[in-house]
Amino acid sequence: MKDPVIQTPADPVVYVVDDDASVRASLEDLLASMGLNCLTFASAREFAESPRADAPGCLILDVRMPGMSGLDFQDEMLRGGISLPVIFITAHGDIPMSVRAMKAGALEFLTKPFREQDLLDAIARGLSHDRQRREVAQGLADLQRRYASLSEGERSVMDLVVTGLLNKQVAARLGVSEVTVKVRRGALMKKMQADSLADLVRLSERLKVGSSR
Amino acid sequence: MRYKNRLEQAQLAIRLTLLLGLALGITVADTLTNLEIAAGVFQIVVVLIAVSFLPRRGVIAMAAFCMLLTVVSYRLTRFGEAEAGLINCLISLAAIACTTYLALRMSAAIRAVHQARELLEHSARTNMLGALTASIAHEVNQPLAAIATSGNAGLRWMAAEPANLPKARQALERIIADAHRASEIIARVRSMAQRRPPTKEWLNVADTVNGIVQLLHSELDKQSVTLRLDIPSGLPPMLADRVQIPQVLLNLVMNAMQAMGHTDPDRRILELSVACDARNYLHFSVSDQGSGLGADDCERVFDAFYTTRLDGMGIGLTISRSIIEAHEGRIWASANPELGATFHFTLPGGHKETP
Repeated sequence: MKDPVIQTPADPVVYVVDDDASVRASLEDLLASMGLNCLTFASAREFAESPRADAPGCLILDVRMPGMSGLDFQDEMLRGGISLPVIFITAHGDIPMSVRAMKAGALEFLTKPFREQDLLDAIARGLSHDRQRREVAQGLADLQRRYASLSEGERSVMDLVVTGLLNKQVAARLGVSEVTVKVRRGALMKKMQADSLADLVRLSERLKVGSSR
Repeated sequence: MRYKNRLEQAQLAIRLTLLLGLALGITVADTLTNLEIAAGVFQIVVVLIAVSFLPRRGVIAMAAFCMLLTVVSYRLTRFGEAEAGLINCLISLAAIACTTYLALRMSAAIRAVHQARELLEHSARTNMLGALTASIAHEVNQPLAAIATSGNAGLRWMAAEPANLPKARQALERIIADAHRASEIIARVRSMAQRRPPTKEWLNVADTVNGIVQLLHSELDKQSVTLRLDIPSGLPPMLADRVQIPQVLLNLVMNAMQAMGHTDPDRRILELSVACDARNYLHFSVSDQGSGLGADDCERVFDAFYTTRLDGMGIGLTISRSIIEAHEGRIWASANPELGATFHFTLPGGHKETP
């Protein structure tokens, strides 16, 4: 394997977006006291415009902020493809607000002042969700890279083999000899790191699902 | 309170007596006239009066009493034709019954309207209170959240091996700062809600009014309102708060302008006059040609959360009243004979020899 895609797991990052400087400072300190990396932002815009680390993360988002509200920013994140788990914190929450947030996929909705344990539980949950999501995404990216490394001939053989055709049939379809098909098949099994035909079929399914997403 | 109740009871007794007298009078008239004359029909007047101050049961009892009197009168009447008398008696009874029924229906409808209006007022008030508490809660919960979080952080720094005391100290300092911030927010809310005693100084009436006029110049032009000022020279100075009295004047003038929003632009005339009465009281009045006030409004416009405007909060005049009363003055409203309303307030004037 040329390209080691399984990286050393980067330290997770907790992003905090709150317009209140005291809340930001205290959250940063609390997370620091637990050895968690934390980046704070005064507005959703500031967060959206800053680069994010390539590490598992979760977002602590205030609901009521001047400029864009946390709830509106959540919608924008969904549209913009930012898939961080969101923990809402609000100084004055009501039921419609929390329903909207949870429907849009928020992980937790906490009212200020929140209990430390509630926040820490939510952060732990958020980070593990994001870790899983990243693993799945990474696995898929890895698979796509393997598929991309196939030659054109190997790829056409793979596409036909996984539909259940025999080597002979594949050869006839592609207009090449059966030996060529066997050679290409051996090479592509190695490149795709597939142990069996069943394995290859499974990988091909994952590729299809991944690319259709 | 008890005295008031007793007074009300006495009034009720007098009214009831008068009403019974009227019913008996009609009965006597009915008895003395011919059977052909249906004087008993006039008992409906008794029922209509009863509706205005008696409860439902009282009205029904009164109507029943009137009907009884009508029948008795029919029996006692000596003159005229018996058949016509019977028919007249029946007509009278039917008229009393119908009137009672309709009057009760009407008073129930009026009561429903009153209830609906009260409910509406209450909900408007609670809505505003809700919005107010929401914003206060938001403001106070921010530092509270920071305090709780800093406290947790501080505990963790102290529990670390080895304890990180500089960090714990920082957390404690943040807690103190945020606690002060929270108390400042509460102090701010209190100062908004509190009635601050005015800081009084000697003010020139003409200067004060002119200051307001300058402030409102562009607004008056924009709304094409003509301002007529009537401030005679030689007015005594007033001992008043430099900020609060202009605030009252501003409030009254703005209200007057808003009231004239639907008036024909040629008739949008706002009169602001000041006069000094014999008791050396300054009498300010702001008069408009606007939508005016109902008789009920004049009494109630100064009540908190009472408003005649759709977008009004019902706060401005309440504050104005508390300011004027703190200046030992009086504020009231009256409807103009033709169009619009006039708001008046008085302030004690100083002696002319004082600056």
